[in-house]
Amino acid sequence: MSFKTASEGYVKYQGLGNWAFVLHRLAGLGVILFLIVHVVDTAFIYFAPDLYTEAIHLYQMPLFGLGEILLVLALLYHGLNGLRIIYFDMINPDMWTIEINRKSVIWTWIAAVILWLPAAWIMATHILSHMGS
Amino acid sequence: MTTQSKSVNVPQTWESFAWKWMRYSGVILAILAGIHVLIQDILIGVYEIDITYVAGRWHGGFWRVYDFLLLFFAFTHGMNGVRQVLFDFVHSAGGRRALNWILFIVWAAVIVWGTVAIFAFTPPAG
Repeated sequence: MSFKTASEGYVKYQGLGNWAFVLHRLAGLGVILFLIVHVVDTAFIYFAPDLYTEAIHLYQMPLFGLGEILLVLALLYHGLNGLRIIYFDMINPDMWTIEINRKSVIWTWIAAVILWLPAAWIMATHILSHMGS
Repeated sequence: MTTQSKSVNVPQTWESFAWKWMRYSGVILAILAGIHVLIQDILIGVYEIDITYVAGRWHGGFWRVYDFLLLFFAFTHGMNGVRQVLFDFVHSAGGRRALNWILFIVWAAVIVWGTVAIFAFTPPAG
């Protein structure tokens, strides 16, 4: 069955490049899931302003704030890993060796976390300063 | 061991177009989505956002066009990504054709929904 074949492919080969691929897809799917909700509720500002205000209040809850911080990490990783793939594919295909690929994956994770930390700190500060208000 | 890349001829199909689309739109999105998240999520923050804020932001045409481009590129990139993931699990021609139609209809509906809101919105009186 096709579902089994594809799923096994995701987990059986466990090189760093494969983990980069699996995380790229998970992060991408997470972002598109949020994006659909985000477009639908943001458009309420025109179609149903009361619902828009309600949606914004929901996003201002600490739990959603935490989700927002994770969303930024997903977006940063997906974006940086995507740019890495684009560079390899479109500009320098000689980089597609197992060794260079694995090294660049590690650097991508480091860069994503370095960019994420200050963003997460600022967003966490916003959440904490609005707790209980 | 060094490898030498060489050019191969790939037939120009919708699928090769979709492959390139993910890469070109990816570069554009790194800029558009990056600026969007930096401003809205980090610098401004969700606690400062309400209808009055959006009314000010959409006062001129620039941010409306910006948001439309972001919507178009992000959602088209994302839905094609969903399609690529699902195609790893659905292999039959009929199943893939059905998926293409379903995803196309969802894509068109969400793009129209968002685009109408961006350009038809007028600030509430008072």
